[in-house]
Amino acid sequence: MHIIKRNLLKLAATGLVLGVVGASQAFAQTKLDFYYPVQVGGPVTKVIDGYVAKFMAENPGIQVAPIYSGNYNDTTTKALTAAKAGTPPAIAVLLATDVFTLIDEDVVEPIDQFVKTDEDKAWLDGFMPAYLKSAQTEGHLWSVPFQRSTAVMYYNKQAFKDAGLDPENYPKTWDDMVAAGKAVTQKDASGNTTRWGIGIAGNVGSSQWMFGALAAQNGARLMNDEGTETYLTDPKVVEALQYWVDLSKKNGVHPQGIFEWGTAPADFLAGRVSMIWHTTGNLTNIRKNATFDFGVAPFPGHPNPASTLGGGNFYIFKDTSDEQKQAAFKLAKFLTSDEILADWAVQTGYVAPRDGAWKTQTLTDYTAEEPNALVALKQIPNAVPEFSTHENARTTKILNDALAAALTGNKTPEKALADAQTEIDKILKQYR
Amino acid sequence: MTSVSTPKAGIITTLGAWLLAFIWISPLLFAFWAAFHPATGASSFDLFAPLTLENFSQVLAAAPFPRYFLNTFLLVSLILACQLVVCTLAAYAFVCFPFRGSGILFMLVLIQLMIMPEILLVENYRTLANLGLRDTILGMGLPYLASAFGIFLFRQTFKSIPKELEEAARLEGANAFQILMRVFVPLAKPTYIAFGLVTVSYHWNNFLWPLVVTNSVETRPTTVGLQVFATVEQGVDWARVTAATLLSVAPLLVAFILFQRQFVQSFMRAGIR
Repeated sequence: MHIIKRNLLKLAATGLVLGVVGASQAFAQTKLDFYYPVQVGGPVTKVIDGYVAKFMAENPGIQVAPIYSGNYNDTTTKALTAAKAGTPPAIAVLLATDVFTLIDEDVVEPIDQFVKTDEDKAWLDGFMPAYLKSAQTEGHLWSVPFQRSTAVMYYNKQAFKDAGLDPENYPKTWDDMVAAGKAVTQKDASGNTTRWGIGIAGNVGSSQWMFGALAAQNGARLMNDEGTETYLTDPKVVEALQYWVDLSKKNGVHPQGIFEWGTAPADFLAGRVSMIWHTTGNLTNIRKNATFDFGVAPFPGHPNPASTLGGGNFYIFKDTSDEQKQAAFKLAKFLTSDEILADWAVQTGYVAPRDGAWKTQTLTDYTAEEPNALVALKQIPNAVPEFSTHENARTTKILNDALAAALTGNKTPEKALADAQTEIDKILKQYR
Repeated sequence: MTSVSTPKAGIITTLGAWLLAFIWISPLLFAFWAAFHPATGASSFDLFAPLTLENFSQVLAAAPFPRYFLNTFLLVSLILACQLVVCTLAAYAFVCFPFRGSGILFMLVLIQLMIMPEILLVENYRTLANLGLRDTILGMGLPYLASAFGIFLFRQTFKSIPKELEEAARLEGANAFQILMRVFVPLAKPTYIAFGLVTVSYHWNNFLWPLVVTNSVETRPTTVGLQVFATVEQGVDWARVTAATLLSVAPLLVAFILFQRQFVQSFMRAGIR
């Protein structure tokens, strides 16, 4: 009864608003709230405002309010809170890995249900399959890729040269990486390391991403496509963690304990670490601030090279009117057009997830000037989605804690992963 | 013997105090240092790195800070004013007008102290959405207009005020409101200042609730605006983050330095540490 009453009130209110708007304008305006996070430097909010202004100029019937909402976590909290209160944003950029959480909370619409015309289908087919994969589950496509990234290896060519290595010949296997790491590591007279070989970020929030790449390089995967199973006790997965731990424990080429994502670029730029695994989004920063010759390389393999994909997708929310959903879909299509994605890639360093975008003038000019940007593109076919399951926040934290325990030496890799698997099994049981 | 050891102990205590104070203030010192140096200098601690104001100009250009300051100021004043009125009246009632069930009611107020506001995020948001107060400064302040901590604190202070003063005022013909304003509030001034400082700094720093409930530049406080510089994905640009942080804490810092003596004395008397 209460709900009916409230809906009636809402209906009356909508009617009133529409009436007023209708009287003042020839057409009814569809209003959209669009939440997005900012994760990288630069005037990102202004860039987004510019895209949205362009969209509104082309679609006078739609009024979009672009709302900057913190980082990914903040944006997810804000969007879920708003959705639970019955006032969801029409569209939001949220982590690709949040797909199961959003489905379980029943707040998003699958995107493929809006795809009707041939033009829509052509647009959908333009995305790289690797980037769509993480959004496909339960027979639907739940989101479309927007600000996507992938991790690559930045290496200090000068350090390679100093150590007598060929700076153009970057490490292609795990063993190569250890050998190169040993060659470039330097110690001062008292035995303290002044330059490390390699740094792989193991802090909470980054370690699951890096570890996904290590596992994939070893031919293993961390979870299934349905997000209901994890394979942390797989010997190949354990071996991957053992390799990471041994980088510092056995080989002494990696800083001890946990290497921080946030300070990794600064360590690299200061010459304290010669190789870092970091996001493609850092290319502009490193290019601007490096005082030495540096290179960008794809990840090594054991034997097959692999990387992981990260970043955010567009989700369309439930509990909005059909006009709003259609308008939101239109906005998603506009913002993932080849031209916009190409411009977005140049402005931010994200990887454009469409082949078409890489063929635009904007991006061909950019890659001609900065061929390092192409490394990411070449690596994408060999990339796997980031760790993502149901109850993702909890399972990711368990995995993060297990990796930290192994990296700091509190547990052996085998024990840490086995404990994590048991804990995750308890959580995921209800989804199987 | 004691005359020798006491100065020694005194020196050790003083040294310890200085050490703790240094550890405590070092993040702020680093922030000062990093904010006035170029980004490359921040991580290497090069003493001869050139000084620069460029970080500040970049930060000011990247976000509408004056507007954010105004919003924070409005929000904090609104909350402080309402909390002072509501908590004073509530505490006064608890102390001077015992009624049936007032004990239980006070217990309920105390229980509220134990509930983290974050748990109520969705419920509060729902209420605000129904009231149509999303994305307004009033809506942002609404859940905080009464403070269980304030009621508790004022009640304790009012209880410690001698009954004789209240009775004397009554004999002089003062009514209940006059007694409150002329006797209780002036005597509780240190508590008011201390509580004011705590609540202002809490709401100046509050982040999650303002972020969730606001959408536009016109309502957002500095903390939410500041977040745009925490570019997690690319690694942290300390120079700009610290410059932005200094800007947003500057008003509080200046106020604290100016009124330092009064604040410290109030805290000593009010017993909050």
